[in-house]
Amino acid sequence: MSSSSHHTTRVFEPKPSQPAPVTAAGPIAWLRNNLFAGPLNSITTLVIVAFFLWAIPPLLDWLLWSADFSGTTQQDCTSSGACWVFIQAWSQQLFYGSFPDTEIWRINLTLVLLALVLSSPYWLPHHLRNRLDLALLVIFPFVAIAILDGRILGLEYVSTDFWGGFSLNLLLASASIILGMPLGFLWALGRRSNMPMARSISVILIEFFRGVPVLALFFMGSVMLPLFFPEGTNVDKLLRVWIVLTLFMAGYMAEVYRGGFQAIPNGQYEASAALGLSYWQTTLLVILPQVIKVSMPNILATSIMLFKNTTFLLIIGIFEVLSTAQTALTNSNWLGGYATEAYLFVGVVYWICCFGMSRVAANIEKKLDTSHQS
Amino acid sequence: MSAVKRPEGSKSAPAFYNNPNVRAVFYQLLLVATLGYLVFLIIANTLANMEARGIKTGFDFLTTTAGFDILMSLIPYDATDTYLRTFFVGLLNTILVSAVGIVLATMVGFIMGVAHFSKNWLVTRLAVAYVETFRNIPLLLQIFFWYFAVLAALPSARNSMSLGEAVFLNVRGLYLPAPVEEAGATVFYIAVAVAIAAIIWLHRYAKKRQDDEGVQLPVWRLSLGILIALPALASVIGGAPFSFEYPELRGFNFRGGITVIPELMALALALTVYTGAFIAEAVRAGIQAVPHGQTEAARSIGLKESKIMKLIIVPQAMRVIVPLLNSEYQSLVKNSTLATAIGYPDLFTVFVGTSLNQTGQAIEIVFMTLAVYFAVNMTISLCMNLFNRRVSLVERK
Repeated sequence: MSSSSHHTTRVFEPKPSQPAPVTAAGPIAWLRNNLFAGPLNSITTLVIVAFFLWAIPPLLDWLLWSADFSGTTQQDCTSSGACWVFIQAWSQQLFYGSFPDTEIWRINLTLVLLALVLSSPYWLPHHLRNRLDLALLVIFPFVAIAILDGRILGLEYVSTDFWGGFSLNLLLASASIILGMPLGFLWALGRRSNMPMARSISVILIEFFRGVPVLALFFMGSVMLPLFFPEGTNVDKLLRVWIVLTLFMAGYMAEVYRGGFQAIPNGQYEASAALGLSYWQTTLLVILPQVIKVSMPNILATSIMLFKNTTFLLIIGIFEVLSTAQTALTNSNWLGGYATEAYLFVGVVYWICCFGMSRVAANIEKKLDTSHQS
Repeated sequence: MSAVKRPEGSKSAPAFYNNPNVRAVFYQLLLVATLGYLVFLIIANTLANMEARGIKTGFDFLTTTAGFDILMSLIPYDATDTYLRTFFVGLLNTILVSAVGIVLATMVGFIMGVAHFSKNWLVTRLAVAYVETFRNIPLLLQIFFWYFAVLAALPSARNSMSLGEAVFLNVRGLYLPAPVEEAGATVFYIAVAVAIAAIIWLHRYAKKRQDDEGVQLPVWRLSLGILIALPALASVIGGAPFSFEYPELRGFNFRGGITVIPELMALALALTVYTGAFIAEAVRAGIQAVPHGQTEAARSIGLKESKIMKLIIVPQAMRVIVPLLNSEYQSLVKNSTLATAIGYPDLFTVFVGTSLNQTGQAIEIVFMTLAVYFAVNMTISLCMNLFNRRVSLVERK
């Protein structure tokens, strides 16, 4: 601008930017926007906070501060809080049922095997995965029975009357899910089939097992199933329950797969037909993987439901975890009214399992979402 | 196909066993034969077993005396009544707990589902915590928790909690005042009917006004006014429609009024809280399925926030919500069979439990009970499908 010789280059130096006003960013703004936006909002916040202040201290006091943790008998529960001694004393029963002490390793082994089988897609070598995975899954229930029962393996025989506790819930649920999934797929295929007989039979099966209260199914399993077998055959109670749970799972799974089938574009069938694949090749190699992918969240949701429903077995006299808790509560050495502790404990254990599974479902859903839509 | 030149020696059509139609017939015949044989085996075995155990067949038992008492009955019942009557007692109790559960769970579910979208962070967190807690704990455990831990800890009859000396809550149940019809009752009922008719007419009229002239009438306030004013007027003219019979403490227990037994309370509470969590999740999913552009567009044309929810978001969300509600309601009815765990006399407890034990006629009783659950669920499904037709998207023709 100026032609003066004293021209010096001036560099533009921006002023340091000011921090955002406290009302627009930072914790105060967050509080204003999320807890105190307007009078109604503020009142709600205050009411909720007041409720917490009123409810939480006594709750914590009962749960922890004045609770009893150590000891072995009811006499050790002297304070006003929760009696966690009760849970401690019954923990083995709650988890393993009345399985003989010396044989508990068999349950642990089965559970470890279950974990290995379920996690096999992560550790099996790539080229073995597809076939071995499925085989491992389907074999698992029978291996588990062999280990727990013991007769085939030359171990001490443990009658199913002694199986119980939370491990029974876990094993029964997984055994039923594992067998119910392929069976349900078969039914779902039948429902889509062009053969009228196959279709109607599948529809009847699916609608029956979905429409009937699961309790009625258990009841039929224990009251009516024995009538169906030739006189003298004695089918084990747990085996009957397993059959019922598997069929129940299959009914629900078939419906889940139906949704999955609907999401498969027709082009997939046409493309496999063009490649000359047979019906079963198309179904197992092209359609099934995609159906499973699409319906994975629902498969897990249904599995969670089945897992929760294993508590219903209490009603037909199987010593699953809730039934063990009920037995413990009526034990003459523990008649102090520890219902809240027992239910809280079982509830928390169940909650951890189910919530964990639902998180896994959400993660898989996110991971499998290859649609690039968002 | 025929254009393809076949290799020498195979000029004939494909073998008949490679014809898909022939195969289909063959497979189906095989399927039917196998199943038929299985069914035959089952029936034969069942008949043989029943004969061996001396179980009678047929529905004659329905007219014989049941001989057991039922804890709670909506229709007059005593031990000298027939098994058929126990069936209806149980059925009504099932319908009662299901209806109460459905209404309350819907209310809780919608409140919690909408609360998920509150601007208040604490409310949002509470809604999420509610859903995640109660969805992931087995229903039976929740029933036990309410029944054996919460309701069993209530005070004894003498130390009842009371609300205005009219409503009492103690370990034996909830005691409510019972309305007794007085002289003015008939006029009152007529007034209520007229009020409802008037409200329906008002809604139609208001819709027509809005469609024709764009005028919005304060429909809700007017409806509420009519609903209160007309019956009130009727009571003034015709005299008090009801008097109330209050529960009274006599000896160790309350007499009079309406008694809600703890079994019913625990079951209804558990069903409400459990199903409510699933409905809240359905409502959340439904609302989330409405594109955010809808809210923005509604704001840009100047709708109030409350109207946006009511007029724009919820009607569109309903398309997603209603089918989910349908299955939640059905599972609530099926889950009500858990009543048997705490001894609430629903159909399952009374009929499949006690009656079956006494008569041993498993097939007939299970068949009747399943037929009822199917029928109830079909009814729900039918109603929800009708409702769904109303809320579903009307596409351009």
